[in-house]
Amino acid sequence: VDVNGLPRPLYGDEEPAKVLEAFPLNCHPRYFRLTTHTIPASQSLVSRWHLPLGAVVHPLAEAPDGEEVPVVNFGSAGVIRCRRCRTYINPYATFADAGRKWRCNLCTLLNDVPGEYFCALDASGRRFDADQRPELSKGTVEFVAPTEYMVRPPMPPSYFFLIDVSVSAVRSGLLEVVAKTIKSCLDDLLGNPRTQIGFLTFDSTLHFHNFKSSLSQPQMMVVADLDDVFLPLPDDLLVNLVDSRPVVESFLDNLPNMFQDNVNVESALGPALKAAFMVMGQIGGKLLVFQSTLPSLGIGRLRLRGDDVRAYGTDKEHILRIPEDPFYKQMAAEFTKNQIAVDIFSLSDKYCDIASLGSLAKYTGGQVYHYPSFQATTHGEKLKHELSRDLTRETAWESVMRIRCGKGVRFTTYHGHFMLRSTDLLALPAVDSDKAFAMQLSLEETLMTTQTVYFQVALLYTSSSGERRIRVHTAAAPVVTDLGEMYRQADTGAIVSVLARIAVENSLSDKLDSVRQQLQLKLVKSLKEYRNLYVVQHRIGGRLIYPESLRYLPLYILALCKSLALRGGYADVSLDERCAAGFSMMILPARRLLNFIYPSLYRLDEVLTVEPDMIDGALKRLPLTLQCLDTAGLYLLDDGFTFLVWLGRMLQPELMNDILGVSLSNFPDLSKIQLRECDNNHSRNFMAVQRALRERDSSCYQLPRVVRQGEQPREGFLLLSNLVEDQMAGTSSYMDWILQIHRQTQSS
Amino acid sequence: MAADPSAAAAPADPDGPDAVRFTWNAWPRSKVEASRCVVPLAAAISPVRSPESLASPPLPYPPLRCKPPCSALLNPFARVDFTAKIWICPLCFSRNHFPPHYAGISENNVPAELFTQCSTVEYLVAGPPGSPAPLPPVFLFVIDTCVIEEELEYVKLSMRKAVALLPEHALVGLVTFGTQVHLHELGFCELSKIYVFRGSKEISKEQILDQLGLSGGGRPGFPKMTQQPGVQQVNGMHPLVTTGVNRFLLPVSECECTLSTLLDELQPDQWPVEAGNRAIRCTGVALNVAAGLLGACVPGTGARIIALLGGPCTEGPGVIVSKDLSEPVRSHKDLDKDAAPHFQKAVKFYDGLAKQLVSQGHVLDVFASALDQVGLAEMKLAIERTGGLVVLSESFGHSVFKDSFKRIFEGGEHSLGLSFNGTFEINCSKDIKVQGVIGPCTSLEKKGALCADTIVGQGNTTAWKMCGLDRNTSLTVFFDVSPSERSGQPGHQNPDLYIQFVTSYQHPEGQMRIRATTVSRKWVDGSTNTEELVEGFDQETAAVVLARYISLKMEIEEEFDATRWLDRSLIRLCSRFGDYRKDDPSSFSLHSNFSLFPQFMFNLRRSQFVQVFNNSPDETAYFRMLLNRESVTNSVAMIQPSLISFSFDSPPSPVFLDVASIAVDRILLLDAYFSVVIFHGMTIAQWRNMCYQNQPEHQQFAQLLQAPQEEAQVIINGRFPVPRLVVCDQHGSQARFLLAKLNPSATYNSAHDVPPGSDIIFTDDVSFQVFCEHLQRLAVQS
Ligand SMILES: [Zn+2]
Ligand SMILES: [Zn+2]
Repeated sequence: VDVNGLPRPLYGDEEPAKVLEAFPLNCHPRYFRLTTHTIPASQSLVSRWHLPLGAVVHPLAEAPDGEEVPVVNFGSAGVIRCRRCRTYINPYATFADAGRKWRCNLCTLLNDVPGEYFCALDASGRRFDADQRPELSKGTVEFVAPTEYMVRPPMPPSYFFLIDVSVSAVRSGLLEVVAKTIKSCLDDLLGNPRTQIGFLTFDSTLHFHNFKSSLSQPQMMVVADLDDVFLPLPDDLLVNLVDSRPVVESFLDNLPNMFQDNVNVESALGPALKAAFMVMGQIGGKLLVFQSTLPSLGIGRLRLRGDDVRAYGTDKEHILRIPEDPFYKQMAAEFTKNQIAVDIFSLSDKYCDIASLGSLAKYTGGQVYHYPSFQATTHGEKLKHELSRDLTRETAWESVMRIRCGKGVRFTTYHGHFMLRSTDLLALPAVDSDKAFAMQLSLEETLMTTQTVYFQVALLYTSSSGERRIRVHTAAAPVVTDLGEMYRQADTGAIVSVLARIAVENSLSDKLDSVRQQLQLKLVKSLKEYRNLYVVQHRIGGRLIYPESLRYLPLYILALCKSLALRGGYADVSLDERCAAGFSMMILPARRLLNFIYPSLYRLDEVLTVEPDMIDGALKRLPLTLQCLDTAGLYLLDDGFTFLVWLGRMLQPELMNDILGVSLSNFPDLSKIQLRECDNNHSRNFMAVQRALRERDSSCYQLPRVVRQGEQPREGFLLLSNLVEDQMAGTSSYMDWILQIHRQTQSS
Repeated sequence: MAADPSAAAAPADPDGPDAVRFTWNAWPRSKVEASRCVVPLAAAISPVRSPESLASPPLPYPPLRCKPPCSALLNPFARVDFTAKIWICPLCFSRNHFPPHYAGISENNVPAELFTQCSTVEYLVAGPPGSPAPLPPVFLFVIDTCVIEEELEYVKLSMRKAVALLPEHALVGLVTFGTQVHLHELGFCELSKIYVFRGSKEISKEQILDQLGLSGGGRPGFPKMTQQPGVQQVNGMHPLVTTGVNRFLLPVSECECTLSTLLDELQPDQWPVEAGNRAIRCTGVALNVAAGLLGACVPGTGARIIALLGGPCTEGPGVIVSKDLSEPVRSHKDLDKDAAPHFQKAVKFYDGLAKQLVSQGHVLDVFASALDQVGLAEMKLAIERTGGLVVLSESFGHSVFKDSFKRIFEGGEHSLGLSFNGTFEINCSKDIKVQGVIGPCTSLEKKGALCADTIVGQGNTTAWKMCGLDRNTSLTVFFDVSPSERSGQPGHQNPDLYIQFVTSYQHPEGQMRIRATTVSRKWVDGSTNTEELVEGFDQETAAVVLARYISLKMEIEEEFDATRWLDRSLIRLCSRFGDYRKDDPSSFSLHSNFSLFPQFMFNLRRSQFVQVFNNSPDETAYFRMLLNRESVTNSVAMIQPSLISFSFDSPPSPVFLDVASIAVDRILLLDAYFSVVIFHGMTIAQWRNMCYQNQPEHQQFAQLLQAPQEEAQVIINGRFPVPRLVVCDQHGSQARFLLAKLNPSATYNSAHDVPPGSDIIFTDDVSFQVFCEHLQRLAVQS
């Protein structure tokens, strides 16, 4: 086998757009994609499909180019739904009785068509107005929800900030970045002019801030009773931004100074969360938590659990990766119940138990941002961009999501950041385009009797403008009896998305090693099944065979095993980084997930000399192996979170100095270097490259880090560990991996 | 060494140069005789009354003390042997050698403390070299924000005036409260920072300190407050405490701006008040927090909590009434029937607060300004035990509050001379025991041979703490005679008795001072010398002492019948000291030293001190606290107001406190201490309404109208709390303020002989004449 001939996903995720050819009425696959765009007709078929049977749902994905989600208002007719299964009317619904009835495509019930919605049918039984009505012609549509869809009036978007002001936060420069960023976003916060805003700072005490609009400057109100937290004011802690804008700005201007002399080292995060809950409970909204040290006081205090080498490989290993104190999960449940989504910005230079803190985001539809060893000078830009995006990206508030499917199939498990409110209702206090969900399916009956199975994703939410909306994605998939068809319709991106989430979840109850073995086993079983399917008829003997659709799967699974979340054992990744990566992988859409586990590697030294408008096209991805690295080259590795800039040993010093802006001999510590645009073409192009790559996906800001060839140990953990095709301590190279898989598929 | 005693001329002082007045200036030697005197042996003393009146300026050296256990200070009554350089203590007769630095004394070179005029003398106590500079006074304001906007504006106005009047170096702190307690961190300059405490929960001192980061051990997260070399002392205080001081208590000069902004933005409590409910007001926790803060920051140095209260405590410890408006605030009837569910609990809470404040040496002042009661009855302990000031008014806009509040910050001749951290001690001749003290102080539980078995007030001690004291502060000391066997023997008897009062205190200017007053009185032998006893009777002091004594008994003894007790005492006294033939009432007469006494008792029986049901428990507590802390002269006015008549016929002159003194063409000026009433007779009122006073030909009338006003102003200016001024006309609704105080010689029962133009009083009370008739009849009964 020739290593160069092995398949590599150098074009990233391949969206299964061809599904739309067969099912043009389906929603675009970026909203909903099955791991194989088929439904097996029998349990026996399912049992031979060793990969997960499920889907990835990205309900608020950005619409495909040139498309827009149509908004439908049914007016007096009310939202048209199936009487029995509550499916929303969709392009697959059929009409009968001269248009007076419609048949639900999910449960086959014949429903009455309301008078206001009536339309005659053409000869083929199609409504005459079908093309004019998006809900009858488009797989993705948004309905304006009437008041029955509200348990209370839609709440204004609200942002509450919980900011650690202990000494570590002060010294890292965190306060200044956060204050400036928030201030710069005030005009763009969602929901203007209804936007609500509030702040609570804390160290060993809680500091509420009174933003009453009539005040000339905010008032800080300290509550130090951590055992019995209470609100110091009945109002004015969460205020209308427009009314209190001057007071809020004054606060943000003062925030860094206010605590500049603070020497407090404690963190009463638990009580602060309780306080935030009391402030926000009535309205809900987004709670952004900035934490720079391990919670040390009051309820929810955490201990330095330490990453214990002795725990690895034992059945206690996973305990380090789950919350120690049930407080955080209980708190998260309370938050979700009150429509509060929590985003965690963890900015500690020491262990801060992301495993525990992250569960706040996990069960509230939130997100975990991790900035290890945060320093404003180096990480400020990244925090600024990501915080800005978090504050200004379009967000669906007070939402719930349910995925209905036709008779015979059922979703059994859901993976992602949400709270399951009933067996199939996902509570999402807030959800946005950066969150995707995965789920697994099972057959309810031994044999499927229908030809097609329909799926409908419905997200009921409050828009930032205060309207209740329902976003509906509908898709159909054929029922098949042929395993080969399942392989042909397999979607590697979806499979990896589901597998990765399952693996991360398994790592919370099992050893990393077992998790990796399970992944490998699934791969082997699947390929073995495939081999058995074709080996006889094709007489292919000793070759490793795999379906075209899954050609990258072995490499992705290898990469997944080498990802931050699952790689190695003790000391290979810090515990917090591992957990943070795990939380990220639970929400990443397929494309970003694939790029995260198999990052993009580009050679740049040549690109830096082309015309600026040619840059984007000149960027060519390379296989992730050291063999691709020319010692005279300049490379950039992009995993969606970081830009790793690798300087070959023989790189022209001139080029190096141009892009670094300093001579390397004067600046030996590359970990502290900040890349800025310098007055030369190389530097300008280098910046243009970064901009171009960032433009491809704005959900994250890749922080550039520079490492020089041979610079140990930084080169090891920054770059070499990302070269997933190479052999590293205890892991296989891509070649060895393929051989190993091959061997295992052949053994009986 | 000797100060010139003639340097300061003593102005006339109704309570004498020593400000000590005894009920009896001649003392019976035996217990039996003493009890036959009816009126207890007691002294009213104002320990730091007007230093200007002292014969000598303060002596810049420490006093000499007799050897223990006596420890009396050297005084003019000591016998001095100039050659042997020995002095003999008049109290215990011990011989004491003068220390070396007194070597220069001789008949011609006598230290000031031996001058006869210097029976009261003051010493400056300098600490050891290098000790801290004089302590700044500390004022911690506690402001109730559960008031309407208008009232809060009055408070702000008064606060701004107060801040402007405070000496620059005085430390100031601010607590505001309503539903919760806000402690303002004045030293946090970036913006206003407030520590908030829940109002519903009792909070221990340790918890408060912990939450403020002031606890000694250092709360986790706060740097340990260890002393570092070279750390500068702030405000003369130990660096250990400066962190807290700098944050919450700042010199006025440094926080005037912050305070002014704070006051500008101070708003009525933001928490909603439900319909049918009272505001949620956590006075108890607010005072708790204030006391805790002072305890942590400035223990042992002079500090006062100045509480401005606008209503009753309805939340947390110290609750006096529930939030539900349908439940009225407790009345005397409720207290009597044990139907005041919150009372005992609140009293217990304030008792605890009092103990804490006393141990810290801090004062609680209360300015209650509300139409409803605020709970003075419950707080009385904490105010009185710490020597706090108390002012009761209807509104923060009322002059009683405004002017009184201003007075406490005024310097110069109007200064109240607010002093701190006092200790009051008594030394006395053998055979004299101390029963206790009534007044603004707390026992220091210094037991000794001087303590009597019977206790009155703060007893069983010879030393008392006076956290706050001022020029007006007065104490009543109750004595007992208890002759030992040896002193009963002829030859060993000393004709004179000596009592020494020693008060050490922190002067308003910061230094510690010791004031010693040594007085001598005569012993009277046997039961034969009634005349000497009579000569030594001070009826004003006796009336005041009895008023204080029965007020105390009414508070602590259930079912105590004050009227009956007073009647019986008066009858016994008249029986003992009156001139009469047995069973012949018409023969009865009293020595001039006793002549006013029956009238004092008559008015005491009718006064707010005995007839408590006419007032609220808060008012009663207020009246009693002032009765207990004021001078004899002022206290007499509380019992028996003075009445002055202004008319065309005669110069202003005192008239009988009798309804018969009312006349249509008179203006009466009543000084009932708490109120000053100007009462215009009907004719005067008519003329005034017709504006005669504005016509040039009626100049004299204008002057007549003006004279009582000026006189009233003199009274008001010299008094704290500022009395309420009532100007009224005969038959007007406000006239009741006068009528209530008058002897009902003419009531509707006797209306037939009312002279025209006079007034009658609608009452069933007996008139003084009837009272006297009864008294005479009973006194002469065998
Ligand atoms: Zn249906
Ligand atoms: Zn002596």
